[in-house]
Amino acid sequence: MTSFTPYTYFQCPCTDTSTSSRIFGTDSTGSEEENDEDDKTFDPRAPRAAYSLHPLEHLLYCEDCHQIRCPRCVLDEIVTWYCPNCLFEVPSSSVKSEGNRCARSCFQCPICTATLSVSSLEVPPTGLGAEYATQSGPYVLNCTYCQWTSKEIGIQLEKPNSVFAQLAKIKNGGDPYITAKERRREGSRQLTEGRRGSADTENILDPNETLDAESQFSNLKAFYQSQLADTSPGGALGSFSGDYGYGSPGALSRIMGLYTGSSFADKKSKNKMGNMREASDALEGLQISSTSAEGTITKLRTEGWEGTVSTSQRAEQNHGPRFLDELRPVPHLLRTKRSKRCKTCRHILSKPESKVSNTRFRIRLVAPNYIPSITIQPLQPPLSLLAPMKPVQFVLTFKNPLFENVRVSIATPASTPGRFASKVTVLCPQFEVGANTDVWDEALQSSSTQSSSREKRRTKEEASSGQNQAEAGKVWERGRNWVSVVLEVVPASLRTDGPEFMKSEEMKKDKGPLREGEDVLEIPVFVRIEWEAEAAQEEGGGLGKGDKTELKEKRELAYWCVLGMGRIAQV
Amino acid sequence: MSKKIAKGEYIETDTGNKVSRRSQIIGTTNIILGGKTVIQAEVIIRGDLLRSFPSSNPGEKQGNPVAVAIGRYCFFSRGCELKPPGKLYKGMFSYYPLKIADHVFVGSGSVVEAALIGTHVNIGANVVVGKFAIIKDFVKILDGTVVPPNMVIPSFSIVAGRPAQIVGEVAEGEVESFDIREIYRSVGNS
Repeated sequence: MTSFTPYTYFQCPCTDTSTSSRIFGTDSTGSEEENDEDDKTFDPRAPRAAYSLHPLEHLLYCEDCHQIRCPRCVLDEIVTWYCPNCLFEVPSSSVKSEGNRCARSCFQCPICTATLSVSSLEVPPTGLGAEYATQSGPYVLNCTYCQWTSKEIGIQLEKPNSVFAQLAKIKNGGDPYITAKERRREGSRQLTEGRRGSADTENILDPNETLDAESQFSNLKAFYQSQLADTSPGGALGSFSGDYGYGSPGALSRIMGLYTGSSFADKKSKNKMGNMREASDALEGLQISSTSAEGTITKLRTEGWEGTVSTSQRAEQNHGPRFLDELRPVPHLLRTKRSKRCKTCRHILSKPESKVSNTRFRIRLVAPNYIPSITIQPLQPPLSLLAPMKPVQFVLTFKNPLFENVRVSIATPASTPGRFASKVTVLCPQFEVGANTDVWDEALQSSSTQSSSREKRRTKEEASSGQNQAEAGKVWERGRNWVSVVLEVVPASLRTDGPEFMKSEEMKKDKGPLREGEDVLEIPVFVRIEWEAEAAQEEGGGLGKGDKTELKEKRELAYWCVLGMGRIAQV
Repeated sequence: MSKKIAKGEYIETDTGNKVSRRSQIIGTTNIILGGKTVIQAEVIIRGDLLRSFPSSNPGEKQGNPVAVAIGRYCFFSRGCELKPPGKLYKGMFSYYPLKIADHVFVGSGSVVEAALIGTHVNIGANVVVGKFAIIKDFVKILDGTVVPPNMVIPSFSIVAGRPAQIVGEVAEGEVESFDIREIYRSVGNS
């Protein structure tokens, strides 16, 4: 099967709700049990624990609260918007007005989502001076991954840049596309000038045309605004005219009063509102959907299934196309650089530089710089699968990132929670890990005592002579800022059948077959670290006490982790 | 006389580069290695695919045009291939230089034809990076990805799929894991 790499996930304390709400009635005993369980063990497979486990690199650390923060309990604030393709920074005002897509020339292929490039249709010149000739022919967008070109939807461009603006004006097939702005302009122009004969002005507004979503919306909006102005009484402010009219703030309560039939209904106000009619043609936003699907069916018959649009391709488009020739190139979605803030104390935890090209961070408080990292290795040569009912030993290495010594205590329940309870024994529950001092400091100090400062690793001879058994209460190995301890595990048997007395409580309740992920041996470990840090000295506070009275403040941090050790072999 | 120097797998240069004897490096005069770079066995580096200048400034150019420029602490795993990208431009087909920055790890069997690769990039195994792709800093490309030509991958992205799509963002705490120094030290000469 697939190889298994051991992992360590940390639980963020934001999921612990210390104040539990009392559920009255029959569930009162249930909530008590849950509280006890929170105190005692942590079950990584419980539904409560879903999404609360994170690898150490994903966690941040708040220095004010002295707590770890996970991606769920930080607030994101946007520092910059930029296009992931052209890496051009977009000001937030443009994002609000133009939308959150790139408005330059960055498009994705509607078929395969790779980036489109602009190329000229003109035949490249040959002969002398060919390299100096500039291309000026009509341009198309083409995809270098799936070889799609915009010729397949009938679009050609005049200029190689500002493709977004050019595309907004062309429909698939090459016809010019009338945007909402132009319709409004045309409509207002016709109102002011009066309707002349169609010979004079090219009447681009057709009462029967099929509109797309955006033009229909703008037509409808203009129509309803004009209706509001016509029907509501009162002065120029049609929408806020007192209690009457459709747009007034009191309209909702008044209309609901009509339904309840209270005697406070004002008959006068009802009559004052004029009759508002609905849209009558396409100019006003009416779209009659055709009841026959003849055209679509014929097209489906000729083009077949390959000519239709797949679900993911359709999701990217905003006009719901069914066939490949209705697809449009998709502008790239803008990406952001975000700064993260602690939810409780609003301290900034992570702040990148605002320039897109600069990858440094102004502030970066990440958990690996504050919490010891845990790595897992098997004591004997690694096995692909753990054999059930056979004791296996693992070496856990705790690496200390702080500049002080930390005392670590680890605790784990004797058997893992869940249906298949494996037995776990921690051979050394308390130990001290050295400080992360500079390598030079350590080398200078221990130049005379080199051999004693580090417990020698078991040599091959010692191991073969049977002395590779770890002793309880002792660390396995120690280094400058790391310590290894041994954990012994007896994996459970994954048999769902078998004698009743051998099954755990949960197994008796749930007799279903082995579920996905249940064969992975996960051990919840409660880690408590204690260290002495220098308390922050207030300025002007310690003047009288003499200099350098470092107040050593005792700090501690406790959290649950889950160690994924390996997969248990099935029978 | 002098000690017999044991023939190891790697040749170590003055600048700390560890080049395997079984790698195939063609056109070595056009390749620049930054220092402390590891090139494992069966790696192919095409320094012979050079830019052929049309006819510009014959007197200004230096002797050796660069086809492949690699930074410090890079690691090229077994069987990977580095090729400068080439295209037809104004009637002429020419190759463009491939520039790789520091701390770049390329997995085994991958083919890289990008134009620019930034610092701290981790490319997985059996990845195909298309021509003229631009990969910015702190990018992780998962195994088996096919990056289409001309794609730009912004910083701090995790990229996967065929064609490659951005599937995630690199967390702030993962920045240290891109460092290649530990891996460089572990490469022995046995």
